Amino acid sequence: MADVITPVLTKGIGELNLRDIAVYRQQGGYEQLRRAVMEMTPKEVADLCNGSNLRGRGGAGFPTGRKWSFLPNNGRPRYMVCNCDEAEPGTFKDHMLLEETPHQIIEGILIGAYAIGCEHSYIYIRGEFKRGFEIMRDAVQQARDAGFLGENVFGTGKRLEFTIHRGAGAYICGEETGLLNSLEGKRGEPRLKPPFPAIKGLYGEPTVVNNVETLAYLPYILRNGPEWFAKAGPERSPGFKVVSISGHVRKPGNYEVAMGTTIRQLIDDCAGGLRPGREFRGVQPGGGSSACLFEEHLDLPYDFDSIAKAGSMLGSGAMVVFDDTTDWVKAAHSLIRFYAHESCGQCTPCREGGDWIERTLRRILDGRGVDSDIDVIVSAAHQLTGLNLCALGDSIEPFLASVIKRYEADFRAYITRGSAQRVAV
Amino acid sequence: MRARRGGPATLQFEGKPVDVGGTQRSMESGGGSLVNAQSGTLSSASAGQPAGAAVADWSPYAQRDGHPFDALYASLLPEIARLIGLYEQKRSALIPMAHLFQEHEGYVSANAMAAIAYQVGETPATVESTVSFYTLLYRKPVGKYVVQVCRNLSCLLNGAEEIMDYAREQLGIGHLETTADGLISYEEVECLAACDRAPCAQVNLEFVYDLTRERIDAMIAAIKGGTYEIAPLAQTAKPGRTWRVEQDNGRKSAGGMNVESPNNAGGIGDRSGLVMFDLIVGKAQYESRSNERLVHETTLRPELSENGHH
Repeated sequence: MADVITPVLTKGIGELNLRDIAVYRQQGGYEQLRRAVMEMTPKEVADLCNGSNLRGRGGAGFPTGRKWSFLPNNGRPRYMVCNCDEAEPGTFKDHMLLEETPHQIIEGILIGAYAIGCEHSYIYIRGEFKRGFEIMRDAVQQARDAGFLGENVFGTGKRLEFTIHRGAGAYICGEETGLLNSLEGKRGEPRLKPPFPAIKGLYGEPTVVNNVETLAYLPYILRNGPEWFAKAGPERSPGFKVVSISGHVRKPGNYEVAMGTTIRQLIDDCAGGLRPGREFRGVQPGGGSSACLFEEHLDLPYDFDSIAKAGSMLGSGAMVVFDDTTDWVKAAHSLIRFYAHESCGQCTPCREGGDWIERTLRRILDGRGVDSDIDVIVSAAHQLTGLNLCALGDSIEPFLASVIKRYEADFRAYITRGSAQRVAV
Repeated sequence: MRARRGGPATLQFEGKPVDVGGTQRSMESGGGSLVNAQSGTLSSASAGQPAGAAVADWSPYAQRDGHPFDALYASLLPEIARLIGLYEQKRSALIPMAHLFQEHEGYVSANAMAAIAYQVGETPATVESTVSFYTLLYRKPVGKYVVQVCRNLSCLLNGAEEIMDYAREQLGIGHLETTADGLISYEEVECLAACDRAPCAQVNLEFVYDLTRERIDAMIAAIKGGTYEIAPLAQTAKPGRTWRVEQDNGRKSAGGMNVESPNNAGGIGDRSGLVMFDLIVGKAQYESRSNERLVHETTLRPELSENGHH
């Protein structure tokens, strides 16, 4: 069982105090940053990243090297922003990485910053991670004292400045342009794209926004070579992935595996399987925005393309497992309420649609639903998709549609029960 | 009071002359932060400056003498300067400054927003607009302990509903409410990224994991007994029943006006709104179903007054 788990980023967590820079350095920490800054050109570092086929671990799975290549050569300052605004329902990998291995994140960000020619990088930490913010602040101070970041990195005269920014409670700031607005001290409302951040990002300058986990893999790609990373897992979506498994499993937690491990292995071998006497009913493979998968999908390899082919997405790598005790109407309502609550309100379809679908589900839960409600919410969720500035509105449909398709009877039962009670009264 | 540009050298406020010379100087030098101009500290009246100068510094909009906020503002100036120095544009320090004032006042007061506005060179309205977007920034006082229980999917699957019901019952308050003694505020929040230890909560932004009824009991008892391991928040004003600000519904977006009456003139109400919603969805079959429901569900029919009008 344990051979499925291959710790890279999670190595040493729970055994070593990796918050201490001395301990991190004993494990080879900051050695790759030193090598990059002192022995390599930015282009060489970027080529290594490209060669590894590393894809973004935040949700969209966009190839990281390609994202970097979009930056224009216009002589303007560039920014590297690390997205640690983790709030996708079911995801808790960045929370752990931030609190347990802050130096690994700093090293990854600085290698990324060096590769794209950025002198001032930022990390955006969600407001709820107050403790993580404090841990990161101490870690940055340690790294600064050691001369790994600041005005004169490793005595080379190169500048790699670093600022930690703490948000204040808004899921939408995980969307990259919303994050940039928030970092600029504005409301975290996503921007109209194009221009994409690579052209006009932070302060109107070319910017790359990468997830914590994505950047944290960079030191290891440099250390072990891009082939090492590219060879783990399928060719088009290689490498390792920290998977957050929660819900109805015996041992919920973060498990790092090679891409392409099957969903069944993740649930049974990593998370200890379902609780005794329970039956599997479904799994959400990639956070709140992904469509639910069922029994027939259990042997799917867990990688970007295979999950996408099955009609869902790998997203942030958060698996929520459902057993036969699940109340699907409540589960759907909980997620829709999340999107209704977190909508920034700029786009009418998302703002109003999410709210009304939430209210309709609440009505069904209260036993006041009518038969047409189910068709209406499915149709509304479908029709508000694709009409919004960002992907938040589009995230309403997948889970809702997939569970209604599979478990429509559960929704109908609420309505029938409700109307029977009304007649009895 | 329009003391900002081209105003008289001596202003009057509540009958007393107020010296705004310092303000004008700094505003004229490009609206830069006063902190730099005064090398990180505010000399205020102690250095023999006329009373009022310090007040004018933090808020040219609301000049007052001897306001308690003056001292806090003066003591935070070095930290404000540090925060602004972290960024390449000073407006980026807006949220960090709001956190800073909230840490000391327990909430982001109107004074704090005016001070932030002055520091970043924006209007207080702009600052409030920004602050109002974020759920962790409170514009009204809250309790010394803010208990935020997660209501999202993984916690729900692990019994969050029961925990929330129990917490509400034991505290005697609901979502977004504060106990009458101003000690505890309660809120049900979205995913806190601790799904492996569900159901979870945060108390004053410190995580509390694996919640059970017993843990809720122990937590409330410890808070009330003053022995809780998590430190209380600052509290400079007595909280009301809720810190929700009405115009925004306690949510980021204002979607769906919370009108319960089906006879609401706009047609947006709890039930009639759903009929409207069917129409928005815009398919013929829904339209006919909506009409069907109007006929069959008496509660959806508009009430007519005796003379037959609405």
